[in-house]
Parts: sequence; C-alpha cells; structure tokens
Amino acid sequence: MSDRGVGASIARKEDDRFLMGTGEFTPDVQLPGMWHAAFNRAQIAHGRLVSVKAPSGAEGQVFTSADMADIKPIRSTASFPGFKGADFPVLARDKVRYAGEQVAIAVAPTRAEAEDIADSIEVEYEELPAVVDMNDGREPSAALVHDHWADNVCCETQFENGDLEPARAAAVHTIHRRFRMARQTPFPMEGRGTLAHYDSRLDELVVWMSHQLPHPMQRGIAHFLGLEINNVRVICPDVGGGFGLKTHLDGETMAVCWTSLKLGRPIKWIQDRLEHLTCDADCRNHQYTMTAYTDEIGKILGMEVECVVDAGAYSPWPWPIGVEAATGVGNLQGPYTVDALKGRSVTVCTNKPPSQPFRGVARPGACFTDELTMDAIARTVGREPWDVRLDNLVPPAAMPYDTVTRKHLDSGDYPEAFRRCVAAIDPESVRERQKTPEPDGRLIGVGFACFYEQTAYGTGPFGYSAWGIELVPGMEMATVKLTPDGGLWASVGIQCHGQGLETTLAQVAASELGIDPERIAIRHGDTATAYAGTGTYASRSIVVAGGAVAQGCRELKPRLARIGAHLLQCDEADVAVENAEVRGPGGSVTFDEIAEAFYHHPENLPDDTDRGGLTVATGYNDKVHGGVFGFGAHGAVVAVDPDTGQVEILDYAIVDDCGTRVNPLVVKGQVIGGYAQGIGNALYEESDYDENGQPLSVTLADYHVPAAPMVPDIKYDYMESPSPYTTMGIKGVGESGAIGPVGAIGNAVNDALKGLGVEIAETPITPRRVFDAIERGRAR
Amino acid sequence: MKPAPFDYARAESLDEAVRLLSGADGDARPLAGGQSLGPMLNLRIARPALLVDLSPIAELREVSEDEDGVTIGASVVHSAVEDGEVPDVTGGLMRRAASGIAYRAVRNRGTVAGSLAHADPAGDWAPVTMALGASLGVTGPEGRRTVAADAFITDPLTTVLEPGEIVEAIRVPRLSGTARWGHYKLCVKPGDFAESLAVVVRDPDRDRCRVALAGPTHAPILLDGVAGLVAEASGWSDALADEIKDAAGGGIAAAGFADADDRYAMNVHATVTVRAAREALSR
Amino acid sequence: MTSTTISVNGRTVTADVEPRLSLADFLREHEGLTGTHTACEHGVCGACTIMLDDRPARSCITLAVAAHGAEVRTVEGYDGDETMATIRESFKKAHAVQCGYCTPGMLATAYDIVTRLPDADRDRIRLELAGNLCRCTGYIGIVDAIEMTLAEIRGGS
Repeated sequence: MSDRGVGASIARKEDDRFLMGTGEFTPDVQLPGMWHAAFNRAQIAHGRLVSVKAPSGAEGQVFTSADMADIKPIRSTASFPGFKGADFPVLARDKVRYAGEQVAIAVAPTRAEAEDIADSIEVEYEELPAVVDMNDGREPSAALVHDHWADNVCCETQFENGDLEPARAAAVHTIHRRFRMARQTPFPMEGRGTLAHYDSRLDELVVWMSHQLPHPMQRGIAHFLGLEINNVRVICPDVGGGFGLKTHLDGETMAVCWTSLKLGRPIKWIQDRLEHLTCDADCRNHQYTMTAYTDEIGKILGMEVECVVDAGAYSPWPWPIGVEAATGVGNLQGPYTVDALKGRSVTVCTNKPPSQPFRGVARPGACFTDELTMDAIARTVGREPWDVRLDNLVPPAAMPYDTVTRKHLDSGDYPEAFRRCVAAIDPESVRERQKTPEPDGRLIGVGFACFYEQTAYGTGPFGYSAWGIELVPGMEMATVKLTPDGGLWASVGIQCHGQGLETTLAQVAASELGIDPERIAIRHGDTATAYAGTGTYASRSIVVAGGAVAQGCRELKPRLARIGAHLLQCDEADVAVENAEVRGPGGSVTFDEIAEAFYHHPENLPDDTDRGGLTVATGYNDKVHGGVFGFGAHGAVVAVDPDTGQVEILDYAIVDDCGTRVNPLVVKGQVIGGYAQGIGNALYEESDYDENGQPLSVTLADYHVPAAPMVPDIKYDYMESPSPYTTMGIKGVGESGAIGPVGAIGNAVNDALKGLGVEIAETPITPRRVFDAIERGRAR
Repeated sequence: MKPAPFDYARAESLDEAVRLLSGADGDARPLAGGQSLGPMLNLRIARPALLVDLSPIAELREVSEDEDGVTIGASVVHSAVEDGEVPDVTGGLMRRAASGIAYRAVRNRGTVAGSLAHADPAGDWAPVTMALGASLGVTGPEGRRTVAADAFITDPLTTVLEPGEIVEAIRVPRLSGTARWGHYKLCVKPGDFAESLAVVVRDPDRDRCRVALAGPTHAPILLDGVAGLVAEASGWSDALADEIKDAAGGGIAAAGFADADDRYAMNVHATVTVRAAREALSR
Repeated sequence: MTSTTISVNGRTVTADVEPRLSLADFLREHEGLTGTHTACEHGVCGACTIMLDDRPARSCITLAVAAHGAEVRTVEGYDGDETMATIRESFKKAHAVQCGYCTPGMLATAYDIVTRLPDADRDRIRLELAGNLCRCTGYIGIVDAIEMTLAEIRGGS
C-alpha cells in the first residue's frame, strides 16, 4: 500500500462530494424552526450611539447590546509592551468605531425579512472625526478610537540582536526605503457563517460555524457567554476557504448564539459579500521603514527597521493585536545571513475593521520589504540582484542556522533552490531583450524573491507563548482507532478547508500501517469527535496532526502485534506489522481478522491484551517549538505598459521546498493557490477608504480578486529537504506560495522602471501607481 | 443581500408593459435579463415597487435584417450577438463588443437594450452604438419615437426615457464593405466594466467617421476632433498617434469627461482612444 | 406571492414564491439542492452558475419568478452524463478542487466550454473562466482539467 502512502500523488478523497455538489457547508444546514439573522450596521466610521430604535411590529426580533448585558466583550490578552486589548463588543456599545460595525441583530423566518427589519432600525449617531490612516492616528491631534486611551497606539515591540554599531561603521552603502502594503481582505469564496441551536437533550448549544478553529471557538463562545465547555459544541463542516480570516471569534457569531438561546430556536447568519467587503476583518496594512547597511558588494551587515501596523478598531480573539507587527519585524532579515538587526513595531488603532492575519501573516510584508531592499542594494552596488542574493543567502553548510531574529532554520539548500529558479527564468536573456525597445513600447523587467516559511510553530521563544496570548498551541492530539472491520478511524483537532487533509492524513496513516487510504476515515472540525486541538492555521496541520496520527498508528502497532502473534501462535518478537497485517514466520493475519477477534471474539485474545484496546489517544509535539522552515524562490518577468500603467506577468517560476511531500499534487496545489493570492496582493487587491473612513471597495466591481486570465501558468520545481525535527521530515506548505509574489513581481516592475530612476514601494502595484511613478521619473 | 420586497408582473404584450410601467406611481421598472438590475436589487440600491417582466413579449425577441441594417429586438441577449445569431452588419464590431461583456453566463441572460437602458457609464454598448450611428426605438404612453444612440444616455444611470417608456428595438446601420473599425477596452480583468473604452468607426464610402469614448464617471461622449483626424488619415504613424492623443485630450477636457487634474485618467482615456484609432487605421 | 413553474433536473416544480426570491435561493431552500452555492450575490463570482435552458446562467441574479417555464440543471442533475463524468474525473486528476465552494459553478462553466468550444486552448479556457472566481487553486489545475477533458473528448471521437 506504500504506493498510496506518503509521497504518492493520489486524487483527494474529499473531491467526490464537492464534484457531486453534496458537500455540506454551513449555509447548507437547515434545521426545523430555524430563523435567519441580519445586522444593522454603522453607516459612519466613528461616532457615538445616541439611540437605536427598532421598528414597530418587530418586537422580540431585534436585539442590541443593551439586551446582551450578560455577554462579556470579546477580550484578547498579550504580553506585548504597552498592549491595550481594545475589547471587541459583540454589538456596538456607546460608540461605533468603523463603518459596518454591527449595531443590532434582527431575526425573522427568512433572510430577506431579517434584512427588511435590520434596514428599518433607526439609529441616531453623533459623528466624530475618523482616524483613517495609521500615520495620522499617531499624531497627537488625532481623534481617539478608544476614549479612555491616551493615544491610538495599542502595542509597541522592540527587538535587537547583534551589534549594529560595527555594521554602521563598516557600511560602504546605506540603503533607506519605506514600503507600504494596502489593506486587503482574505476573501474566501464562502464568507463567514454561523448557525446556533440549543440541543435540550444534551443541554448543549450546538454552533455550526464556517471556521478554522473549532476548539478555540468552543472555548471562546463558552467563556464569553458564561457557559461551561460541556454545554457548547462547535461543528465546522465543509468550509469554503479561510486563509486566516476564519480564525477569530466574531461578534456576529456571539450575537447569533445569544439570540438562539434567548428565543429557543435555531438562528442562522450567513455573511454576504457586501458584509465581507464592507466590514469583515482586513489584513496586510503595514508600513516598513528599512535601513540596510552593506559592504561594497552588497553583503548585508545589518538592518534597522520600523514596522507600523494598522490594526483597525479592535483586537481579534484569540490572535490579538500585535501578532502581525511582531511577525513582521521578526522575519525581516529573510533567508539571509544578517548579523545585526534592530527592529521596532508600532500598532495603531484606526476607524477601520479589525486587522487579522492572512495567509503568510506578516511575512509577505517582510518579504516585500527585504526583497525590494535587496534589489535596491543590487542597483546601488551595481551588481545583478541574483548575484547579490547568492552572497547573502544562508548556505547549506550553515544548517541548522539561527537567524538574527532567532528563527532556527532547520534544513535546506537555499542557494541551490534559488539557482534553479534563476535558471528557469534565465534573467540574462531578459537583459538581452531589454537592450532593444519592445515593438509595443512596453518596458520589460525581471525580479526575484527568496523567503522562508515558518511552519507549525508553537511554544518557541518567538512564538505564541512569548507573546503571552491566551491560547498557546503546543501538543496536537489525535485519536486513532482500528474499526471492527479492519479500517482505520482517526479524529483530529485541526480543520480542513481545502488543504486535502482528509487525504494526506490518511496517507500518513497508510504509510504507517499499510491500510489503504480509502479505508481510513479522517474526522475533523468537530469538538464532539476530536479530543483537543487548536485548528488549522500557520501552515501547521500536516506537520502536527500528521505527527499525531503517525504517533497513534505507531502506538497501535505493538497492540496489533500482540494479538496477531497470539492468533498466529508465534512469538510477539517474531512478527512484523505492515501492509495491514501482522506477519509471522509461518503466516500472517490481517487487521480485519485482528479487529474481528478484538471486538467480537475476545475468547481468542491473549490474556495480556492491552487494556487500551485498538484505540489510541496520543499527541505530537515538535522537537523544536519555534517551527520548521520551508523555503521558496520566486522569479518573475513582467511587461509594464508605460501609457496605461498595466503590468502583465510574462513568465513566472517557483522553486519550493517543504521537506517531505506527503502528496505532491496537494503540495503543488497549495503553492499555486498561494501564488494566485500573492498576485492579488502584488497587483490588484485593495480595500480602500475615503477620508471619512467610508469603505470604497464593497463589491467585486471595485475589489479585484484575481481571475483565471490574471494568473498565468508557472514553471514549477521543488526540492525535498526533510526536517530533522518532524515525523517523516514533513514541513508545512500552506502559506509559502503567498509570500513570494509581492517580492518577485515588485522587483520585476522596478527592474522595468529602472531606466526612469524610480521605484514602486507600495502594494498593490496598480496601473495608477505605476503611471504616477513613471510620471515622477519623466519629471526628473 | 436580498432585495427589498416588490411586486412582479409578466407583460404579455408591449401595450401591457407600457400600461403596467406607467402605473405604480412611477415606481415600476422593466425587467429584461436582469443582469444589471439583479445586482442592484440584491444590494438594495434599486427598490422598485413593481417589476414588469418583458421576457414573455415575443416581438421583443425579433431580429430583422434589410439592406440598410439590422433591427435588434429589446430582449435579444448579448450572446446571440456574440455567436452571430444576430446578422452582423458591422464587419465584426458588434460580435467583438458582445464577447467582451461580462462573462458568458451573464451574456446568456443580459440584453443589449437592457444594458443601454441601465446606462452604466462604462457599459459596453453605448460607445459601440454611438460610433455606429445606431438609434433606439422607444415606445411609451405617448406612442413611439426614435432616439439616436448618441443622445440616449444623458448622465450616469440616466437616459432620455420618460416614465413608462421602454426601448423596443435597436437599429444598427450597415457598414459599407470598406468600413474599418477599432475597439479598445481597458479593464482590470476581462469582463469587468471598462476603465476606459473607445470605439472608432471609419466608413469612407458612407462619408462617416465616429469616435466614441466611455468611462466610469461620465456619460459616454463622441470625440469629433479625433474623428476628423481619423477620417482624413491615410495610414498610421507615430505623428498621427500624437495628434490623436492631443485631440482626444482636448475633447475629454472640453466635455468634462474626466477630471483634468487627474493625469492618470486623462492619459488612459487618450491612450485608449489612440489604440482604438490605430486598430481602425491598421486593418 | 407569484406562481412559478420550473423544470429542475427534469422534474417539474410549481411553487408560490415571493417575487424577490432568487433562483439560487429557490433551488437551495425550496428544493434542497444545496450544491448551488452563492458567494457574491451580484453576478460576478460565478459560484451560483447553473444551466438555464442548457446555457450557463447566474442563479443569484435570476429571479425564481423570471425562470418560469425554464429548464434548470444544477450540479445534482448530471446523472448518466458522460461529458460531466469526464470533467469530474479530470478535475480529480488535475487537483482542480480545494475547498469545493466554487466547484459547482466551475463545473457548469467547464461544461459550457467543453461543449461549446471544443478547440479552446489554454488562453481561451482562462478567458472563459474569468467569470468564475476560485480563491484556492490558482486556476492552473482547473485549466489543466478542462484541457484534459477536451483532449479526451477529441481522442475518443
């Protein structure tokens, strides 16, 4: 069966139900007596709530924060210096702090009727000046988003390692740049959604949620509602994408749970696209000010950086304000041998929706910063950027390597992966092409980006425990059971929303036990079936849940061996457990037969049969707690139209290394999916606001998600550098593809513009931004 | 995103449609394919009291061709033009334009007349019909009238249609064999509404040359200065491109089509005009 | 309430519905055909794409009352259809599915491409897919799957 285990590109087990239309997403769940919820939302970005008046005839169908006095505000904790938690009210209390913030919930038999009621709720505001830009928010004259604070800065972090003074003193070149990333949204195809109902038989509030973190949501809902964990079950069924958006506990869900308990009927709220684009959590809104010190050939000696993050109005739970900034600064040296780094981060509250980690967390911002800096260095020292990169990349002989930001890079040949990417792009041919003007007048550019991806991190020195947050991921649990007919059932606390984990975790188990993946059921996304877990995020699930499932299989083996040897009438020491059977010197017995004996014919069992039976509940914890590191090199060739500012990707190459690939088809799919999101990040996606904080990108006419013609084919290559620290050498890969494109495309555009002496330093690289840069160049 | 409540009626004849639309205190709207109105209903931007469904009216689905052109009934969908089911009297311009509107699933429902009547300023059909010198047959409580395509849209989302009036058909004149056209649409992704869309039709045998421009903030305009240059041109040159760009800029500024201080918008519209002209003159 | 009669996957359904009810919600909530997903409800993302009189259409911006007299085919309605079976198999082979939310609409568009444009190349496939957003796959697997299907159909005929 090993040909279907780890390393095999088998088709996914979950595909059939999606292709037949028989998957079950939260909106698909219908319960008897169910009503729908809609929200009345703030029309202004900042103001005091003077009054909220429900329409007559809607008694018992509209609730406000005054009704929900028994719900605790959603409060996050962290140990960042100066951390201010910015409690997230379930429904606005006293003030609204962003346009679209939920003010009241309305419920009715249909969604349309609920919207009718929500629309006719009369809300009176006393409007206040809005803090829209993070830099403005730091000014002493800025309005206060939270009245009881002295200013809008909600968190500052400092980091220093290595001695920067010698770097400054020895520097031949000092490169100084400021980079900005626009706000955008993760935009899963399925928005949020919550259906809550009270199961009186079990005295349990059952909450169906489109979410990535079932167990943390169970804890949060119970805690903020004042219930015992035993009285809350969270089910995350099929989930139509998450990308980090669906990792926090939203106020709407709390209001739905409360209302369901209050009315004693199932209440369903399905976030629509207008809500998603208007007021769901955003991401990526960072500003980096970088100073790099280099020698005469561009070897980086040290870096100083300030990272400012626009947090929006509230701190999400459980990942609080500050995580983005800490991650941004904590990865700024990228995969390079930088000896000294001094970093500072400032997180600022504004009158915009809360900010939430999105695929890559802050690493795309860090990559944009360090990779565009790298090319700026190359231009300054007069060398090609690929040569400068090779001089700075961590060499394989240095592995494992501790970066200046204390990331323990575990394995990989970064320069070789990069060389392969360079070879795929062939930048020398681009240099040749650039010597002759293009017939259509466009400007050609080539750019690269290198990055590592920190995956499956937990309690490490620069991870969740150091940040002092409430839920620190560590041990990941799995329950593994041989079923009475010889199949395998495994339950895990992660949640699969497109990553193919129902298949890849089955492949891990198949490799351990030799059972065909078709006979292995992976159960996830339900607090009633999984013992514990923190869900799926941060490129962790295949490493930690894979490790836990493998561990469960390994602990099952001696139990199987003992029963098998007894059935074979041979010595336990003489049997092997593989290929779904126990094989002894004189024959073998299948798992089916062992299960049959265990469950239904105990008279055939040895007296010393393990009392744990054929079920193992066990866990996995990394040998290192700061994660294991994948690596990627991206290369892009672009054409820039100087008359329209449009950028076309002509060629794109990716070389990726995520250690042992459990299913190469799935790995490649993750990388390409990330690449497409990276293109959106680099070129198209922006959640824009006017000077009053009104959102301007609330439909797909204004918010541009990459469509198929905007995502060209790629040249794809991979390397496999197993991690020395994980089961089977697996590393995570979920975020990798999304990190590189901003750097590679940004550099390619700047390469195209270099004749004009201008650089782009802000995403997305829209036609207008390109045109403005060209105008600046022509005016020089 | 569910619409506010409204009443709904299926009109079986044009007369019935006009009668229904004239009622409802002026708060009735016609429904053809619903591809523009549908989103506005779901977003609750449009809140009509009554929708009058025109789709049962057989005569609105009719297409008739004669030697001077083609008459396209109001219920004819974009994909019928795209696929050539509607006789193409424009040497391929209508088919090109149709194929770039939104997506196939939208083109299968959305109608040419409905798109024009919706009057999104960046809509695809207005500049095409304007450049072709097409006209719209309109019927209403006061009877029938004909409106030139270039006089139909007065402002974004506003047309000359009076309450109760609907577009009955679009009349597209036949281009001569020597006519050439250019069509350049700039948008973020294929199928989007245009950031800028220029259409050039040069038909020397009929002594006609028209250039139309559409964009997101202003009703579509004709650029007569550019049309004059294209009409007189004997081929393509960089010098002509510069002249056209200047003339386009002048026309755009004079019409207030884009904010004159917005150098990007001004440049994009002028560039798109040049590219459409180049296509027309390079064919 | 307005009466509407629609053939849904070959079965004639008559119902009194609110005029504002979309065809997508009619299929999902009245007919229990939850394979049709809504994701933008303004006609752009393509998740709700179904076949209406054998042509792809957006069910989120089509009113149930306006589909009166029409034949609707949803993702649940392809039993015994060899073309769709080939498309589905290709989607599996090419890893064209991740979260599965866009998939039913994607299949409707794929079916349209395969049946209407037998000579479509990768660029044309991409262009035809522009009205179906997918946030997971980066589309390459979907383009591969459709190309694979076309090749298989060409090879078989």
